[in-house]
Amino acid sequence: MATTTAARPAPAPRRPTYVNRRQVRRNTLLGWTFILPNFAGFALLTLVPVVATFGLAFTRWNAFGTPEFTGLTNLQRLVGDENFRVALGNTVYYTVGHVPLTMAASLGLALALNRKIRGLAFFRTAAFFPYITSIVAVAVVWNMLYNPTRGPINQLLTTIGISDPPGWTSDPTWAMPAVILTGVWKDMGYYMILFLAGLQTIPPELYEAAKTDGANAWQRFRNVTLPCLRPTTFFVLIMLTIGSFKVFDLIVVMTNGGPGRSTLVLSQLIYREGIVNGQFGYSSAVALALFVLVLVITLLQYARNQRLEK
Amino acid sequence: MKRRILQGLAAATAGALLLGACSSGGGDAAAAAETLDPDAPVTLTVSVWNLEGTPEFRALFDAYEAAHPNVTIEPVDILADDYPTKLTAMMAGGDTTDVLTMKSVMDYSKFATAGQLADVTDVVEGVPDLAGLDAYDQDGAYYAVPYRQDFWVTFYNKGIFDAVGEEYPSSDLTWDEYVDLAETITEKAAAAGVTPAEGSTTYGTHTHTWRSVVDAIAAAQTGGDQLGSEGYGFLEPYYEHALQLQDAGATLDYSTASTQKISYRTMFTTGQAAMLPMGTWFISALLQAEAAGETDVEWGIAPMPQEKATDEAVTFGAPTAFAVNKNAENVAAARDFAAFAAGEEGARAVAAIGVVPALQSDAITEAYFALEGMPTDEVSQAAFQPGEIVLEMPVGPTTAQVEQILTEEHQNIMTGAVPLDEALATMAERVENEVG
Repeated sequence: MATTTAARPAPAPRRPTYVNRRQVRRNTLLGWTFILPNFAGFALLTLVPVVATFGLAFTRWNAFGTPEFTGLTNLQRLVGDENFRVALGNTVYYTVGHVPLTMAASLGLALALNRKIRGLAFFRTAAFFPYITSIVAVAVVWNMLYNPTRGPINQLLTTIGISDPPGWTSDPTWAMPAVILTGVWKDMGYYMILFLAGLQTIPPELYEAAKTDGANAWQRFRNVTLPCLRPTTFFVLIMLTIGSFKVFDLIVVMTNGGPGRSTLVLSQLIYREGIVNGQFGYSSAVALALFVLVLVITLLQYARNQRLEK
Repeated sequence: MKRRILQGLAAATAGALLLGACSSGGGDAAAAAETLDPDAPVTLTVSVWNLEGTPEFRALFDAYEAAHPNVTIEPVDILADDYPTKLTAMMAGGDTTDVLTMKSVMDYSKFATAGQLADVTDVVEGVPDLAGLDAYDQDGAYYAVPYRQDFWVTFYNKGIFDAVGEEYPSSDLTWDEYVDLAETITEKAAAAGVTPAEGSTTYGTHTHTWRSVVDAIAAAQTGGDQLGSEGYGFLEPYYEHALQLQDAGATLDYSTASTQKISYRTMFTTGQAAMLPMGTWFISALLQAEAAGETDVEWGIAPMPQEKATDEAVTFGAPTAFAVNKNAENVAAARDFAAFAAGEEGARAVAAIGVVPALQSDAITEAYFALEGMPTDEVSQAAFQPGEIVLEMPVGPTTAQVEQILTEEHQNIMTGAVPLDEALATMAERVENEVG
């Protein structure tokens, strides 16, 4: 963000005079050699596989031999595949739960920690800690907390009078909320940092002016903070949505899609069909579907943002 | 001047990256058909999982190297959980590892049908009395040689049985008796104040979370087809037993065991479970733990419970085998190693550490029970020679998909999320609709 809006140097850039073509060519070459190592890595490890996925989605391939072109068979199978429907539903469920909750939690944290309080650095660090904690450790500890009989969460719920507390990760109805909650807890620290940065760009004069006009705290939040934060909010929304749609590691280590299929998500289906079952063609078709889904939703969000900016 | 050097460096790095990336593709090492020169030094590579925790590999390698001084074995150690996927990636990339350990029959079938394994029919025919061989039959040809054959038995903790004054399980235990016994022990242990080394409850038994614990034994004893050709009604009585145990509190509940990833090993070695249906691989683990002073549990084995009392116990199990890579660098040595591991000498080497070899002979069984720490009573010996060992899961093109469905429905049943009859109907329905 910073690079695109950087102030231009005072005198307008001089047009290159093509006196010394060798010089120009040398500079171009130099530029290329600087980005080449990175680009080569990106191309080999990301670009080629992504493009290959688009091709593989229309083939049958088990990793041995040459892929066999099958046209739209994989997509037809996708439409009729109940596993795909379940995974799609669960992915949407996760996103719908995870995105607003994480935004609310991280914004709340950012607002709370955007003032001068004792131990500010400690609290900010504490809120950021989950984000840098190993996902496996997070999953193991949360599974212990969620334990239906011996876990502290249910013990607490029982002591405050809830006689039949949920089974959390061992109950198909509650497994997804449990995973969402853990996801929110893990991600909120990172987005809090983004919101904090955003909050600090809001000029204090605006708050002063609002105060002078007699605006109360809620009105100041509603009419100064939120509009000024819109670029940050938009960025957070996009990143969170994409992150939620491709959630994988948290689910795999916490529930592995279970109990039953209650937490099976799309990226896990891709892994299962491809890496485990060796159906790379069909797996690529699912990946393609996920890609299109994320693309469409991101474009919609962009369009909405553009409209709001006008 | 300085800039020019930098520029050169950058270009060189970029070039090297590209070159490195391109050259990794060419792995079509034409495996020369060689004759085995007994003295030429050979480095044989063998893919294994969890080398430290699977002592049979070291035992076999040491025995083979002692018999063939010119051969050095280089294990390719792979994380156990990643083994099948890693092996697939290696094979697809034209890897030249000589010997490939087939962790499951399912993986074997995948690699054999993909044409990645060398035909070793003549090696198999050279070793008589190999158990579990049928699983490797691919239209009359064999592409792997089994060297180990695990099957399921009931482990029991003699200390707990003594403390509550119950008799040890007999060799003709039925499922109903087993359920009663587990419930009685749980009650008596609680009443007598028997507390385990860890945890707070002594359970009568431990039903581990794998679906095989219910499904595979049901299929083996009733002749039901786990691939679902005739529905899944045959699982019903077996799930009823499992649920009854759980409802009575005679076993740790499935929800806790699965979400806490409870290890069956801990449950048994710390005295939290009086009985444990488990595979024979647990014998070597117990012997090892005892030798290392990690546990002092006095244990014995009995045959798996049966529908009706019988001397010819039916159980399930699965063999493990060595295969020769089609792209192997040392084909002759690899074949020789596979033959050695499956044969008499290999069988002795693995039996010496408590692992059940595929090669069955009275001499080896005798040597096996002579191991320090092995229970020697009659029931244990009977458990070691079951009437029939049925393959854990039939192998076919639909196995992986069916397995996934059965696992998911197993979770639904055991967590109590879906009533049993409904879940069994869903199983059949899903296998019918989704597999193909």
